[in-house]
Amino acid sequence: MHELAGFTRHEQKAPPLFKTKALSFQYPDGRQALQGIDLAIYPGDRVALAGVNGSGKSTLAKHLIGLLSPTSGDCFYKERPLSGDTLTHVRREVGILFQDPDDHLFCNTIYDDIAFGPMNLGCGPKEVKRRVEKALSDVDLEKLAYRQPHTLSLGQKKRAAFAAVIAMQPDVLILDEPTANLDPKQKVIFQKLLQRFSGTLICISHFLPFVHSLCKRAVVMAEGRIHHDFSLNELIAHQEALREHGLDHTFRFNCCGSGDHHHHTDHSHPKSPRAPLNKKSTQHDRASLIRMRNYSFEYPDRSQALHTIDITIHHGESVAIVGENGAGKTTLASCLMGILRGRGEYLFQGNPVSDSLRKRLWQHIGMVFQDSSDQIFCPSCEEEVRFGPEQMQLEKEEIKKRLEDSLRLTGLKGYEKRVPLHLSGGERKRLAIAAAYSMLPPLLILDEPTANLDPESEKLLISILNDLDITKIVISHDMSFIAHCCERTLVMDQGRIVKDSKTAEFLGDNQLVSLNMLDYTYKNICAHG
Amino acid sequence: MSLPAETITLPLSWLLLFFALFASLLALAARSFLSTPQPSASTPGPYSGLAALDHTADTRSLFHTWDPRLKVLSLLLYCFFVVSLSSLLFASAAVLIALAAVIIAGIPAQAVLRRMTAMAGFLGMFLVVMPLTVPVQEGDTLIRFTHLPFFTFNVRGILTALAIITKAAAISLMMGPLVNTSPFPITVRALSSLGVSQKICQMLLLTHRYIYVFQHEINRMQTAMRARGFMMRSNLSTIRTIGNFLGMLFVRSFERTERVYDAMLCRGFTGAFPSHESFHARGKDWIISASWIILGAVLFILDRYWYTG
Repeated sequence: MHELAGFTRHEQKAPPLFKTKALSFQYPDGRQALQGIDLAIYPGDRVALAGVNGSGKSTLAKHLIGLLSPTSGDCFYKERPLSGDTLTHVRREVGILFQDPDDHLFCNTIYDDIAFGPMNLGCGPKEVKRRVEKALSDVDLEKLAYRQPHTLSLGQKKRAAFAAVIAMQPDVLILDEPTANLDPKQKVIFQKLLQRFSGTLICISHFLPFVHSLCKRAVVMAEGRIHHDFSLNELIAHQEALREHGLDHTFRFNCCGSGDHHHHTDHSHPKSPRAPLNKKSTQHDRASLIRMRNYSFEYPDRSQALHTIDITIHHGESVAIVGENGAGKTTLASCLMGILRGRGEYLFQGNPVSDSLRKRLWQHIGMVFQDSSDQIFCPSCEEEVRFGPEQMQLEKEEIKKRLEDSLRLTGLKGYEKRVPLHLSGGERKRLAIAAAYSMLPPLLILDEPTANLDPESEKLLISILNDLDITKIVISHDMSFIAHCCERTLVMDQGRIVKDSKTAEFLGDNQLVSLNMLDYTYKNICAHG
Repeated sequence: MSLPAETITLPLSWLLLFFALFASLLALAARSFLSTPQPSASTPGPYSGLAALDHTADTRSLFHTWDPRLKVLSLLLYCFFVVSLSSLLFASAAVLIALAAVIIAGIPAQAVLRRMTAMAGFLGMFLVVMPLTVPVQEGDTLIRFTHLPFFTFNVRGILTALAIITKAAAISLMMGPLVNTSPFPITVRALSSLGVSQKICQMLLLTHRYIYVFQHEINRMQTAMRARGFMMRSNLSTIRTIGNFLGMLFVRSFERTERVYDAMLCRGFTGAFPSHESFHARGKDWIISASWIILGAVLFILDRYWYTG
């Protein structure tokens, strides 16, 4: 372990807004989430709270707003202990945005949700209306004011949740992974919204390029402790610290990659993407695994989700599908899996997908869902991985072998008896891959595999996927990940495949920024200006 | 011991035909109710949620413009009168009145049918059980079938079962004009202003909001299970998997509840949903309310007179 907080802390003369003294917190199950946190946040500070999944960032944020009480130590707001009246006070002045927008949108219309805070503050009807309209206009959701939250897309929900927070006109904003699961376009919208906020900002994120334009100060957490507290530029310049805390994003940057020298923002397009080419064969001599011709899918409400899809995917290929939220990527994956049935020709391993084959497709296509929690329902990792092979009614010896192979491949050896719910986000994602891989499917579909993963987990995931010698389809907004894992990229827009090219050509395309209204270079921008 | 006035003997094929028809109707109802939700483009993800309870609240009708407090109060009173009916004749009249209300309120037929099919299985059992279990009284007509001398169907039992079914149908139909014609939060606020406790109102509001979120989570989990080959079978493994699924759902729902409550606290929640909504009852609203209560009372009085006279 290196020396904790081994860099110069910021010195401020104004009294701190938040101050914690030897703050520790233990969850009822005995898990130590925070240990001896000493932190001061001053008015006007713009702090990036960074660290890998499970390092204690969100738990600390909950202490700052009084949602959790320390097991030992103290927490102060404006030099007053966080209890009694101060709690009411802090919640009036500090807005917090949680990761999942559904947690914020508990009323039956977006308007009511945004009005909830101002009404609790005791604002009159006119003032509430003014604040709601202003907040809606700020997030560009005026037209959806009277929509029910469950009918909105994720990006719209995130913005609605943010509007609900800013309608209270807080002096301080605490944001927990504000851009998680958003497509690049929505991320840019969010970044611009936050840049306009002039108060104190605490942004929890492990994606430093996003917080770089918003924050000046970086607090790095690991294992419930503060390990560094210095300027964001200092942190980014300190490659060793970044690597040590799993925050090193330089493996993402196609312009230089090594991270050993200064990056250049204008080199965001790779000159020679490092997409892995199939080790054994070229595309021409591979048999086709999937073939769709003139394939369409229409929802019962007559909206067309897929239009005349023509694709051929060969054995051993790694194909990326990119596109804006709602472009039809997940619908296409659901059709490939046989969960949804459209019209047109669909051949799997050369056989038409009839009703009986459709029912058996689960044995041939593995799927890793965007939210790993959706596919984890067993009480132990071992049972989770065994589930698929057991459904295939394999011999006990074969199931045991597959269990061992899958856990070893995903780096989860020794996790057999662990409870999946207690794993970190990255570990859960690897468990989901192990569960799908244990069925040895010829095709593996991964929906947003890097969503919410810290750089270290992402790096490990890339290495695991590159070791899997099966056909892969990756649905992602993350260009760096695609560059590392996929040799071919399909771009979808409004249910159509508008571009089908080699990933190298796709990433080298100078029109990429404006293509499909998505800023595909977003995650590829070097943080070093 | 009193004797029945009449015993009718019918061929066994009639009974088989009746059961075949009954089983088909039940299967149709179950299929329509339990089928996987259809995907929709309007909601994120491959599956749609439930249809919103107040999805017709935006249209205009007599029920939509009626003061919600008076609407809730008078239609509930009307429903109590309907529950108290005894004869099939007046219960049928209540169904006709409810159908007229549904048409006036502009409730889509599909939504009405879905609600009715949800009840079909439960109500259908009355039709099977009551004719066999109602005690035979003087004047009752009994039906027997050839080759089945031990089974005696009491016509009075059939009529009683039909009366229960028609009353349930009438009330179920009235739920459309009652609940679907105002935004749900407004209906709940109307309940609150009528004295229903704040806690119950908040529970209703939050249930209505999060039922869609939980259903979306259930759909995603079911899809993930199917993607790994899970199929319902009658074995221990299926029971264990379903147990794990429900346990996981409970844990996720519990965690969600805590997060939502935290988000509410962070936005100044102190135990009551704030509201600037105010209701104004006009003369027209009072007249409509009085009409419904009088209609219910008339049905009730006529039924009593018919039943006793």
